[in-house]
Amino acid sequence: MTVQQPKPSRIDWATLLLYAILVCFGLVCIYASVFKETHPNIWDASENYGKQLIWIGVSTFIGLLILIIDEKFFFAFAYFIYGFSILLLIAVLAAGTTVNGSASWIEIGGFRMQPAEFAKFGTALALAKYLSGYNKNFEKDKKIQIISGLIIIAPMLIILLQNETGSTLVFTSFIFVLFREGLPGWILLAGFMLIFLAVLALIFPPLYIIIGVAVIAGIFLLLVKRTRSLILITIGIVVVSGLLVSSIDYVFQNVLQAHQRSRINVLLGKNVDIKGAGYNVQQSKIAIGSGGLWGKGPLQGTQNKFRFVPEQSTDFIFCTIGEEYGFVGSVLFISIYMLLLYRLLVMAERQRQKFNRIYGYSVVCILFFHFLINVGMTLGIMPVIGIPLPFISYGGSALLSFTILLFIFIRLDANRVNELRGGFD
Amino acid sequence: MMVFSGMLFFAAWIIYSLINIQFIEGDKWRKMSEEFTTREFDIAPIRGNIFDCNGNLLATSVPIYDIIIDANTPGFTNTDTFQLHIDSLSIQLANLFKDKSVDSYKQQLTKLKLARKQYNVFKKRVSYRQMRAMSKFPIFRKGKYKGGFIALPKSRREKPFDFLAERTIGFSQVGIKPVGLEGAFDSILKGKSGKQILQRIAGNSWIPIDDESMIEAQQGKDLITTIDINLQDVAEHALMKTLIENDAEYGTAILMEVSTGELKAIANLTRESQGVYKERFNYAIGESVEPGSTFKLVSMMALLNDGFVMPTDNVDVEGGEKRFCNATMKDSHLGAGAMSMQYAFEHSSNVAFAKQINHFYARNPSQLYEHYQRLGLTKSLDIQIKGTGAPVVKSPDSRSWSCTSLPWMAIGYELQLTPLQLLTIYNAVANNGVLVSPLLVKKVEQEGRTVQTYHSKVINKEICKPDVIKQLRSMLEGVVLRGTASELKSNHYTYAGKTGTAVVANNKAGYQLGGKSYRASFCGYFPAENPKYSCFVLISQPRKDNYYASKVALPVFKEIADKVYASALSLHQELKFAVKQSTEDLPIIPMADKVHIQTILNTVSLSSHFHNDSIHEDETDWVAGVPQDKSLALAPILLEVKGVPNVVGMGVRDAVYLLERKGLQVEVKGVGKVRRQSIAPGSSVKKFKTIQIELS
Repeated sequence: MTVQQPKPSRIDWATLLLYAILVCFGLVCIYASVFKETHPNIWDASENYGKQLIWIGVSTFIGLLILIIDEKFFFAFAYFIYGFSILLLIAVLAAGTTVNGSASWIEIGGFRMQPAEFAKFGTALALAKYLSGYNKNFEKDKKIQIISGLIIIAPMLIILLQNETGSTLVFTSFIFVLFREGLPGWILLAGFMLIFLAVLALIFPPLYIIIGVAVIAGIFLLLVKRTRSLILITIGIVVVSGLLVSSIDYVFQNVLQAHQRSRINVLLGKNVDIKGAGYNVQQSKIAIGSGGLWGKGPLQGTQNKFRFVPEQSTDFIFCTIGEEYGFVGSVLFISIYMLLLYRLLVMAERQRQKFNRIYGYSVVCILFFHFLINVGMTLGIMPVIGIPLPFISYGGSALLSFTILLFIFIRLDANRVNELRGGFD
Repeated sequence: MMVFSGMLFFAAWIIYSLINIQFIEGDKWRKMSEEFTTREFDIAPIRGNIFDCNGNLLATSVPIYDIIIDANTPGFTNTDTFQLHIDSLSIQLANLFKDKSVDSYKQQLTKLKLARKQYNVFKKRVSYRQMRAMSKFPIFRKGKYKGGFIALPKSRREKPFDFLAERTIGFSQVGIKPVGLEGAFDSILKGKSGKQILQRIAGNSWIPIDDESMIEAQQGKDLITTIDINLQDVAEHALMKTLIENDAEYGTAILMEVSTGELKAIANLTRESQGVYKERFNYAIGESVEPGSTFKLVSMMALLNDGFVMPTDNVDVEGGEKRFCNATMKDSHLGAGAMSMQYAFEHSSNVAFAKQINHFYARNPSQLYEHYQRLGLTKSLDIQIKGTGAPVVKSPDSRSWSCTSLPWMAIGYELQLTPLQLLTIYNAVANNGVLVSPLLVKKVEQEGRTVQTYHSKVINKEICKPDVIKQLRSMLEGVVLRGTASELKSNHYTYAGKTGTAVVANNKAGYQLGGKSYRASFCGYFPAENPKYSCFVLISQPRKDNYYASKVALPVFKEIADKVYASALSLHQELKFAVKQSTEDLPIIPMADKVHIQTILNTVSLSSHFHNDSIHEDETDWVAGVPQDKSLALAPILLEVKGVPNVVGMGVRDAVYLLERKGLQVEVKGVGKVRRQSIAPGSSVKKFKTIQIELS
């Protein structure tokens, strides 16, 4: 087997360029958010921006390495990578380091990394390989649907045990990948309905919701032509919603931890406590709100500089953009991000190979999920879930894993022409 | 594409929220941002100290405090504790400050409690002692977070020696032209300000947020000056006394160490009203005046060095009156005829000098000007202080040069020098021809470490021929022995110098004394044979009858020289200890530290040896000494491990060491060796018990 190097012309340079822009922009934002006048040197490796710079170097190196590896490697080793990342996750459970309340870190020689980050592309590879296998009809075959679900749920469970709710939720983005591959729409709809009901359950007493759902069901049955099965289904839905609503209330009060409860309460506007759980969001909104149209200018953000916003360089990095570059800068940033996602979608759609396409969709979904939740939470429209903004947030293992995630897809995409000439599909 | 539309939908949602936060609710958030605004404040650094040459403080910064009360702390918000302590707190405050009644303090504090404000300036400019006392008061003693007691340190500049050398020490204040050393060394003294982030809270007050972001201020460096505060004291008081006696306008006295150029004292006093003088202007350094007769030294030096005259050469002063061009020059004592140059100098004949200078330099005046240049008189002195006066010494090319210039410059008119500049010339003569620039700051120190050293610069290694120096010094001695300064002599030491009595027309002082006022000066050095100090005294416009230098300026010089001579050991003949110690007088030493006693014995040249006993000398640090064969036999002894040690007969240092090592508190009375100890040797030790030892 000869290793086929991708020709430079086949690499999607537009994606690479967008990637580079985002990473550089991220570095500038980290610099601004942890900037101290006493340590103005951006090369200072004792400060976060200096460390990030080192990680950018490492990521670039690994990224280039991926671009010269034969693309069949990823197909061949997909399960292996997945298995390895699952093993790492279990290892963390046994011997992890606890940072900020989540025991999800492995420390190797002074460097900390989060295996959950690597499980993301591991899962993406495994899912892609499984679904692209010969004669796998996802739309029809229930068994395949279940196994796909298990591939996704296995890492989720382990990560949940590590108390890392944010990363767990990221894996739900795979549901959109499955949807693209033929998951019935009603499951998605049901999912949304569940979330909707869950939110309602947290705002209103469960009894009201059950009554409300029953009334709506009754009206529905009155209006349509009643068949036996329809009546049964409708009643079933009402019963399930009732159970769900009551159990959500139970989970909320008894399973969730205090800080998670208060975060949700704050999001729903049930209580406003500036010094408490709402503090982050409040400060974040102040930062973004005080930015105005043009922003305060680089390094001029006062909310940022004096560390009013906690976790500024990681989870709340968007505040820096909002405060220092204002509305114009924020919209520009969002546009660049959407452009990257659009580009990746286009690339995913042009793949002839199922493996590549599914992997591409996974990349898009993971990135988008992060983007939506992260930016959304700084704006107060999403709950505060500690997940980073890919390519922007401070954090070595996050940057490295997102880079690997993206570059594998760029590598796969670079070989699509070869496949036309008789690949292995 | 459906997927992307979904994404776009979310993106749009995000942008909608952005618009919402940044524009629709923008004002609200901006207002909140204002409320949480923080600002960086400078923390003023502690200014460095200025020391005299013996380490006495000339200027220092003393901490003072502003007391802030945070009434939003438990000490105030908790009504029970507040009520319990408010009375005693008020009483103690009233006792401490004695400025308000107990009731008004109580009212003030109760008001603070009710308002619950976080930032209340309670007292300003409180001394350290008062601040410490306050911090122990009820409620306040709970500290910053519970008692709401915050002391913000500030500093105040203080000169411990009051007006002594006040003008030389100077000051540096915002908005005022800096003066003296404080001004010249401001950048070194002031240190580097630190930064602190304060947050604005309600009522436009600022409170510090976190300690992490604070940058500590860097304390300023210290100056070690050459000033000797004792000599400064002498100079200032001698000058003051004479100024008051003569009701003069102002005066200055400068004392300089001959070999190094170090300025030991600079006194400047200006008349405020009759009998009241203050340091207002640095005349010594800042003002150029016509020196008058004291300048004859320079003229003499030129004449001798160029070989035009010898001290023994005669000059006819033509009855003490001579016309040069359109002006007449007079001597103060008329009627004299021919005299030697030495005599002319000692008795300060104006005509003699004017005539000789005019005679020898009329053809080539620039030859004389070169002498002035060589002596550095044509330029300002380069010294470590601001505001040095520029000399006015015209060159022969200058427009104002006239045919009276040479004769009048010969006797110190038509030119202006600062007193310090003239003193450096006299100092150079005393220093065997080496002209050094005056030195005022020796060292810059930071926390006791020397970071910079200054040395006086040699302006000219040889201002004239060595023979000329000898001749000049004999003339200066002659002034005191036979001449114009012969009225005041000393039996203990010799001094040399030159008087100068210059006429000044000063509008401010009016024209007393027949329309004239005078400036009397004396410039010289002592002891005459081996000069250690040079000194210049100037008394301007005395209002009383005495105006001659010998009557007005010379006594100040004499008083300074007397005091310096009396206090400076280096000026006295050294007494040698010629007597060899007799070995019969060897002391008996009950017990002492092995190393120390050997050092001491070696220093006083007493012999000692180790007496070998059952214990080897290395086993113990302690020895007892007994005289033996003209040498002290040191027998090593072991310390008793248990009980209070016997320290009778020991030196205080060893006794205290031994007792404190046992955990006892030692009280010492008297001097000498230990005679008695209050706890018997061998009794058991109770820790922290006090033991008195009496010394004989």
